[in-house]
Amino acid sequence: MLGILKALKTTMQAAARKPVTVQYPTEKKELPHRSRGFPVLLWDFEVDEPFCTGCQVCARYCPVDCITVTMKDNPKKEAGKSRRKKIVEHFYLDYARCMRCDICVEVCNFDAIVMNNTWQGVELSRYDRQDLVMDTDALLKQSRTGQLKDPFREPMGVAHSGWSPKTDEDEGEGEETSEEGGEG
Amino acid sequence: MIFLLADNVWLDSLLRMAIIGALVPVGVIMLTWVERKVIGRLQQRLGPMRVGPYGLLQGIADTIKLLTKEDVRPASADRLTFELAVFVIVVPVFMAAVALPFTADIFVRNMALGLFYILAVSGLGIVGFVMAGWGSDNKYALLGGVRAGAQLISYEIPLILAAVAVAMLGQSLNLYTLVALQDDTPFIAYQPLAFIIFVIAGLAELYRQPFDIPVAESEVVGGPSVEYSGIRWSMFQMGEFVSLVLISVLASLIFLGGWIWPFNSDNATWLQVLLMAVKTSAFILFFMWMRVSVPRLRIDQLMALCWQILLPFTFLQIIINGLVLVYDWPDWTLSVLSGAAAIAMGYVVYTAARRSGVLYQTSGVAQRVGSVL
Repeated sequence: MLGILKALKTTMQAAARKPVTVQYPTEKKELPHRSRGFPVLLWDFEVDEPFCTGCQVCARYCPVDCITVTMKDNPKKEAGKSRRKKIVEHFYLDYARCMRCDICVEVCNFDAIVMNNTWQGVELSRYDRQDLVMDTDALLKQSRTGQLKDPFREPMGVAHSGWSPKTDEDEGEGEETSEEGGEG
Repeated sequence: MIFLLADNVWLDSLLRMAIIGALVPVGVIMLTWVERKVIGRLQQRLGPMRVGPYGLLQGIADTIKLLTKEDVRPASADRLTFELAVFVIVVPVFMAAVALPFTADIFVRNMALGLFYILAVSGLGIVGFVMAGWGSDNKYALLGGVRAGAQLISYEIPLILAAVAVAMLGQSLNLYTLVALQDDTPFIAYQPLAFIIFVIAGLAELYRQPFDIPVAESEVVGGPSVEYSGIRWSMFQMGEFVSLVLISVLASLIFLGGWIWPFNSDNATWLQVLLMAVKTSAFILFFMWMRVSVPRLRIDQLMALCWQILLPFTFLQIIINGLVLVYDWPDWTLSVLSGAAAIAMGYVVYTAARRSGVLYQTSGVAQRVGSVL
């Protein structure tokens, strides 16, 4: 019988506290730096091409086989603008299948792929499962438009030694890119 | 309201009934919203927030959803029983609402035997539950119907006898008279034991937690209403919520002094409405508060509580009342005796719950864990 009074007290105390609900689409929880969203590709702003060379290591190590990559010769290498001989041609990643295990990030030799730690990712509520298969442009968008400001990568804790999402100098340029990226 | 309607008695009654019939569903729609909000807050959630400001239109959205849903009847169901059951549940509730005065002016019909009529009519709903359970041709529904029959009939006895104890003091079954007698002291001061029994039995009559055995989601998946969908299911909901209001209004009328206490009998109408609204909502909120706080009883605990504790103590209350009235003892003896009996009942429940605690083996040490009661 005293238990009933205790129970009533407990619920009243719960009512006195602030509700924990976060009204998701309008309010969003702050994500920790190491938050592990779905993987996205990084954009090399120095050469203006993806870091990814299409080497397929991630595809081979992916435990759920959600990655498909193809490789091509890099046209910018011939023009002397880039040091990469090969570059990614198509990169498909099935978000419906991905289990966010972080293995692709760990095995990548070029630090070209990271787990998204922002809310800027893709909305996962879709009518068709096929809409969750991301292509190269969709995967590069977060990084290319500067939405992915501070990606986290184990074990260094930095995404790429020479990589910066946006510097103060090319701020204007970056914004232009972002608009283009948005339209694309 | 009394001045607003027609001179013709029949027309007047019809208009009043139409008003009840129109107001009750709106009230139920708002109550479902209130219940979800209150329970949400008690569980540190927000409750419905999307439909309208603070989710205010949630009830209307739910109503539209229920009205447009397909009305399914199982092929093997007993058609007449299945389809009539919901009316047997809802109609008595409306019939009781007709006799219930909300304030001195706002009522449909003031009956000389109002208390008797309300208790008698609201007892008919049990038949509806048993019919729904039998007619659905579903084992869960049948179990739920039988449980509803057992529980509601059992708890009706202490509920009615607690009301009888109050009627003894007032020497009347007219709710209007009973309220008028409470302008100095509400009956709760003279009858604390009857009040506690009335609230507990009322909670059981409403089959709300912790007495939700007939409709237990985890045991009989909703009980008698398991095969009903759409509008028919919403009639179950309506019956439940209107009974919630009925019991709350009745308790505030006969125990808390209705629209009079703590002021005098010539309150303005707005003050009467305010008093009744505050008292009724207090009961409704208490019932909702119990709902989130206390786990469900076992059926043997439920029956033991009714027949071994509530019923004897209700008789004790009636005997106390009889002695005090026959020998013309002063009023305070009534309060003292009833209060002492209430404390005794608390002690009996407490010791019984301690004794029925189950022995659990926890890391080698036998530990006695008390039950809910």
